[in-house]
Amino acid sequence: MTIADISHRRKFLKTGNVYLPHTAKIEKIIDETFGERAIRTFHFNFKDEKLREEFTFESGQFAEYSVFGIGEAPFCISSSPTRKDHLEFAVLRIGKVTNALHRLGVGAEIGFRGPYGNSFPLDLLQGENLVFVAGGIGLAPLRSLIWNVIDNRDKYKNVDIIYGARSPSDLCFKYDLDTWDKDKTVNMVTTVDRSDESWTGRVGFVPKVLEEVAPSANNAIAIVCGPPIMIRFTFPVLEKLGFNPEQMITTLEKRMKCGIGKCGRCNIGNLYVCRDGPVFTYAQIKSFISSEY
Amino acid sequence: MTGKKKISKGNIERLLNEWSQEFTVFVPSQENGVATLAKWGGGDTSFLAWYRNTITPAKANFFPPMEEMFSFRKDREGYHIELPPTDERKQLIFGIRPCDARALAILDMTFKDAYEDPYYLSKRNNTVLIGLGCLNPYDSCFCTSLGISPAESTDVDLMLTDIGDQFLIEEITQKGRELIATASGVEEATEADEGKAKEVKEASYKKVAKKIETEDIKEKLLPAFNNQDYWERAAAKCLSCGICTFLCPTCYCFDINDEMVKNQGERLRSWDSCAFPIYTKMPMENPRVEKWRRVRQRVYHKYEFYPMSFGVIACTGCGRCIRQCPVNWDITQALNGLPAKI
Repeated sequence: MTIADISHRRKFLKTGNVYLPHTAKIEKIIDETFGERAIRTFHFNFKDEKLREEFTFESGQFAEYSVFGIGEAPFCISSSPTRKDHLEFAVLRIGKVTNALHRLGVGAEIGFRGPYGNSFPLDLLQGENLVFVAGGIGLAPLRSLIWNVIDNRDKYKNVDIIYGARSPSDLCFKYDLDTWDKDKTVNMVTTVDRSDESWTGRVGFVPKVLEEVAPSANNAIAIVCGPPIMIRFTFPVLEKLGFNPEQMITTLEKRMKCGIGKCGRCNIGNLYVCRDGPVFTYAQIKSFISSEY
Repeated sequence: MTGKKKISKGNIERLLNEWSQEFTVFVPSQENGVATLAKWGGGDTSFLAWYRNTITPAKANFFPPMEEMFSFRKDREGYHIELPPTDERKQLIFGIRPCDARALAILDMTFKDAYEDPYYLSKRNNTVLIGLGCLNPYDSCFCTSLGISPAESTDVDLMLTDIGDQFLIEEITQKGRELIATASGVEEATEADEGKAKEVKEASYKKVAKKIETEDIKEKLLPAFNNQDYWERAAAKCLSCGICTFLCPTCYCFDINDEMVKNQGERLRSWDSCAFPIYTKMPMENPRVEKWRRVRQRVYHKYEFYPMSFGVIACTGCGRCIRQCPVNWDITQALNGLPAKI
């Protein structure tokens, strides 16, 4: 099977001044990981009730979130469009905006512009075997798709999820990992780079574990997201397993400001992660990925 | 009868005054030796004698160095967002050069692409451009290599050519035609006037000495992307000061930042530059931390990526990046020095 250029699948909803954010309220905060680079998931809803009803997005899309007075930053929508009670995004505390987000409590108000970018090509994934490969907070965008797939389970064939983090305490969405582990229709493989006394599971870097699990490339599509170093080492393993570059999908992250293909900084070659992505096939970005990502 | 019009140089002041009734008129102006576009205050048409081109390009009239996107205010109910007041008065730019007018047409593509940019486009749609042919290009100009003739343009509403004591006027758009239909001091041009204009345009075209080879530039650039050695050498003397990008009429990269005091603040956008390492810096990664990658990005964005996205080279050969560079970095050398096609 062939997944051609998927960038044209982007949708642009033109409504007034695209830079004006909607206001939204944080309804729940989940501590995913702790420590210096803590990760938190925020559940939120728009203040405008009409927008709450009308808002739609697709798995893989992202948005620009703002803490007024501090600034904006892009994050994927980590919840699934099949579950509409609220929206979610996950944030690693590392820079100016992410630190400000982590200082917010339930009830705080944030700005939201989006959804932006293209999405995972659901129609092309249907009827195929899916291999999810994720590292650390890179599970966030894949999580939206995984729940989407599980909520329409009969439309897809085998589902493998290979997920890893630096250490057991760095694993995100543990509540999901447990659910998927118990789900007999999903093959869940969790690994850590370094184990500790609490850990009885697999130890090893994600690309290496992928090689050991060795999912078949037949009628399969691999969906990869994680830190750039993990992505760089995962593609060669997939190639070795027989996946061609068009059977490998990834979603990328870059420094962004506008989110809509204008401010200039998130390009990989002629493609803008915000305008033409964030979902790309490996075939699209292969020639640039070694040197610019 | 040629169907074209003309106006004597002595009548330009009256024309600008007339236009000032309806428009905020901008003309080339000099302050502390820096040539920019400034509001016409009446009286002084001396720019007609000294003007070659402005240091800051006309893009600043549509995409200012710093601009308020909206303000926000916090009270008990939460945040309230308000757009800044818009200037409904139309603007007229007198004297824009063909290179800079083409640059606006190139910028339009980005600001109209995907999602329309309301800040740029509202100003763009509210502006009339009066082009003035360039008869005295700089040594650093290379517009003819980008398909631009220094004294000809269809990217403006009216195009003026200096034919001695008068300007020949070409009506390019309907807006332009309406502009001079009622203007005083406008006469019918003769065939001799038109002949003179043609001579002047040809002479000016020939004066542009600097050249780049654009024909196979795409084919040459693509294999050179991973030639680290070439780009390291090409980038060696660059200071990463960013002046080439700030003064470039087709560079549009921007940053967005918030300012807030107590419960009130603004979201601002400001020019940014691919020359700066922070431009692409993420907390844990930076794809262009090395200078040669940033220099390569500027060249490729203009000559490879923009053509891939929009079908045009994002450079008009205005030469500002060469003239204003503190170390004489020259993009034409980087392009002409590319290894030959294999």
